[in-house]
Amino acid sequence: MWLVRRLVASVAIIFAVVTFVFILIHVAPGKACMGEPGESADPVECARRAREFALERPLPEQYRRYLVALAQGDFGYSFSLHRPVREALADTIPFTLQLAGAALLLDFLLGLGLGIYQAGRVNRLPDLIIGNVTLFIYSLPTFWLALLLLLVFGEKLGWFPVGGASDPIFCPVVDSAYCVFDRLWHLALPAATLGLVGAAGTARFQRAAMLEVASQDYVRTARAKGVPERRVVLRHQLRNALLSFITRFGLAFPFLLTGAVLIETVFAWPGMGRLAFDAILTRDYALVTATALIASVVVVAGNLLADVLLGIADPRLRVRSGVDAESIAA
Amino acid sequence: MPRRSPFAFIVILAVVTIAGCERRGGCTGQYCGTLVNAAVAEPPTLLPPSTDNVVAGDVGEQLFLKLADVGMSVNTIGDEDFQPLLAQRWEWDGPLTLVFHLDPRARWQDGQPVTAADVEFTFNAYTDSTLGSPFRPKLRRIASVTQRDASTAVFRFHDRYPEMFYDAVYHMRILPAHLLRSVPRDQWKTAPFGRQPIGDGPYRFVGWQAAQSLELGADSTFFLGRPAIRRLIWRFTPNLQVAVQQVIADQADVREQLVTPDNVARARAAPQLAVYPFRGSIYTSLTFNLRANGDTSKPHPIFADRDVRRALTMAVDRASLVKSTLDGLGKVPPGPMSSLLGIWDPEIRQLPYDTAQAARILNAHGWRDHDGDGIRDKNGQPLAFHILVPTTSVLRRQYARLLQEQFRAIGVQADIDELEFSVVNERLGSGKFDTSILSRANDPSPGSGITQIWTRAGFGGSNFGRYSNAEFERLVDLAIAAPTRERARALWRAAMATINADAPGIFLYSLENVAAVHKRFDNVQIRPDSWAALLRTWRIPPDRLIDRDRVER
Repeated sequence: MWLVRRLVASVAIIFAVVTFVFILIHVAPGKACMGEPGESADPVECARRAREFALERPLPEQYRRYLVALAQGDFGYSFSLHRPVREALADTIPFTLQLAGAALLLDFLLGLGLGIYQAGRVNRLPDLIIGNVTLFIYSLPTFWLALLLLLVFGEKLGWFPVGGASDPIFCPVVDSAYCVFDRLWHLALPAATLGLVGAAGTARFQRAAMLEVASQDYVRTARAKGVPERRVVLRHQLRNALLSFITRFGLAFPFLLTGAVLIETVFAWPGMGRLAFDAILTRDYALVTATALIASVVVVAGNLLADVLLGIADPRLRVRSGVDAESIAA
Repeated sequence: MPRRSPFAFIVILAVVTIAGCERRGGCTGQYCGTLVNAAVAEPPTLLPPSTDNVVAGDVGEQLFLKLADVGMSVNTIGDEDFQPLLAQRWEWDGPLTLVFHLDPRARWQDGQPVTAADVEFTFNAYTDSTLGSPFRPKLRRIASVTQRDASTAVFRFHDRYPEMFYDAVYHMRILPAHLLRSVPRDQWKTAPFGRQPIGDGPYRFVGWQAAQSLELGADSTFFLGRPAIRRLIWRFTPNLQVAVQQVIADQADVREQLVTPDNVARARAAPQLAVYPFRGSIYTSLTFNLRANGDTSKPHPIFADRDVRRALTMAVDRASLVKSTLDGLGKVPPGPMSSLLGIWDPEIRQLPYDTAQAARILNAHGWRDHDGDGIRDKNGQPLAFHILVPTTSVLRRQYARLLQEQFRAIGVQADIDELEFSVVNERLGSGKFDTSILSRANDPSPGSGITQIWTRAGFGGSNFGRYSNAEFERLVDLAIAAPTRERARALWRAAMATINADAPGIFLYSLENVAAVHKRFDNVQIRPDSWAALLRTWRIPPDRLIDRDRVER
């Protein structure tokens, strides 16, 4: 029942987000057309587009049409790309998944490792150094870090490619081991930007959680019984500190998706974030609403997954389903 | 059996992976070479009549031929400066009839011959309202296109004018009728042909990775000569800075517009790059709205007065603004035109920079600082207005601040509204602005752009400031219809002097383009109206080939 209730709530949240975005983008000032860079848009083209896509119809009617189409699996037509939204999403979502996946991996592996390492050396030099470095990285604006990495490692040192997802000369499609390597090489800077900022936050979070658990009776008892320190940390401390880690996992999805919009634009990564950004600028209503829908599904699913994992890790949370699981974990 | 360490497994995997990473290569000789263009936009389709996207135009130059094309002079009057492409020759059959004889060697890349039926089909498609081609208005003076026989196409015009030939050949790329006839016109924008086209140009379509890159390959059988560069790749990036960085970091070969002095300096400093300046097609003005902000039925309380507009124009030191912001990458235009136009003439009469005279005019019209707050006023109304500028343009935002300072020096208050591009467009279209810094692009002919932006014909369209002057429009009409180039130039000069005296806007700058091109390219010819028009003539000497030129896929 708990899971069913969460699923129903999730669907309601997604519906609310889509409705909100649909209304917001339509009532926002601005015209659904765009000139070439440096120019003003052609008013005749603006008017033609408004007629072609029924943009002059009343908003409730547009919304009704949108919902009917959506119920049939039709995301609509992108007038800025001249293609169905479904095709544009199918092209870009895999790239965002690659970027977000790599960043998530870096975020949690590095963040978890650093947090555990710091907790074992609390208030000693390594803890202070790592703590200050992670705080520095965490406080950096993501776009600024992205531009800095691009300038230093891309343009100046030439160690990594300046933007893009693959080398268009050797690997327009990923069809060999070299091209897999090429994709990873292109992924390195954007994933590092997104992952490092996340890892800095995760490390601080994890350190605090480990220290909180360290003062618990069962940890002291384990040590008193002579259990080896490594075992105390991994079996007793880490296991119990994982609840907050799982909570952070759920919270990472919104961060990754909003980060992806910036990172994909700066690094010319052909993902959904860049697609959404361009769609907002061009007032490509169908594309904006579809990307918002996908993003809300991912965020809600991520949080749902985190809740399920929390329920598995700590069955008390499932029993107390009326209570916010995240607040308990935190 | 000894237990293998996971570390050993990782090492073996890495060795195998790196072994598989050997780059395939081997092309040698004069027909190798890869050109990577760092493009800042991705075309929505490659079907020429469906889009006027700049990159689609650049790619279209390689895939689809015109009947003929303008020469390096970009002279659009008469036909003497045009170069044959699909048409081997042409002749005039009376004052209103133009006959093209197609080159019998021309072939579509599926082997079919290019015929006059294709030319007729193309004209019908471009002028079909169902398709809504952006080029349709430019073909309005052509009455019909018919085929006399398989290799002869006949153009008939409504009237006689100097740019008849230009209109006949410049706007249309000939399309394969046998491949497109069965596609309903209302579906052309989404037609698969637009994402996988078959053309008749020097290059064939190879592949298109959405949001990443697009590749063309040289057609070794091209009837006008095999192109020397084997692969052309457009690498799409969402912003100019990344595109420039790619060229500087030697990950792309060409960035055709560097736009800012800083980018030009960085490109000059890159050892592998050469820079090529060429005439730009964009000019920018502070356009005055002559009608009331938000109500086009009433005159604007400030800008309806011609003398106030003249005074504000005289208060701006355009030359020093260009010098300080563009550092050689721009010029003060002698009217509403870019340097691309053949009518550019610095001797055209313009209002001088004269702040003393500007102040005298304002005083004479009752705009004085009565309350001592530093801002002129009249009948309690301050001499204040807003400058609308899009957030997307760094240069225009910078100009807005500089103009604000110069206006403040003569007691005029200008507030800046920096808004998102689509919001700016909406306000311009509905007349909800006082002034706006607008950039406009010229095609090689002055006729269409100036008419649409600065005459009554552009009301409700691109003439956002709703400027009209009967004398200016008469001169423009005469210039467009002038029988000779000399006569046209004289009339354009008179028209420009008229509009300059009227000051419907302050013509701030015309951008000069600078392209960055890898030094290994030879015979680099850049035509001002289209940098990619002559790509088929570029080449790389065999001794300058680098790794990416030789690769085989």
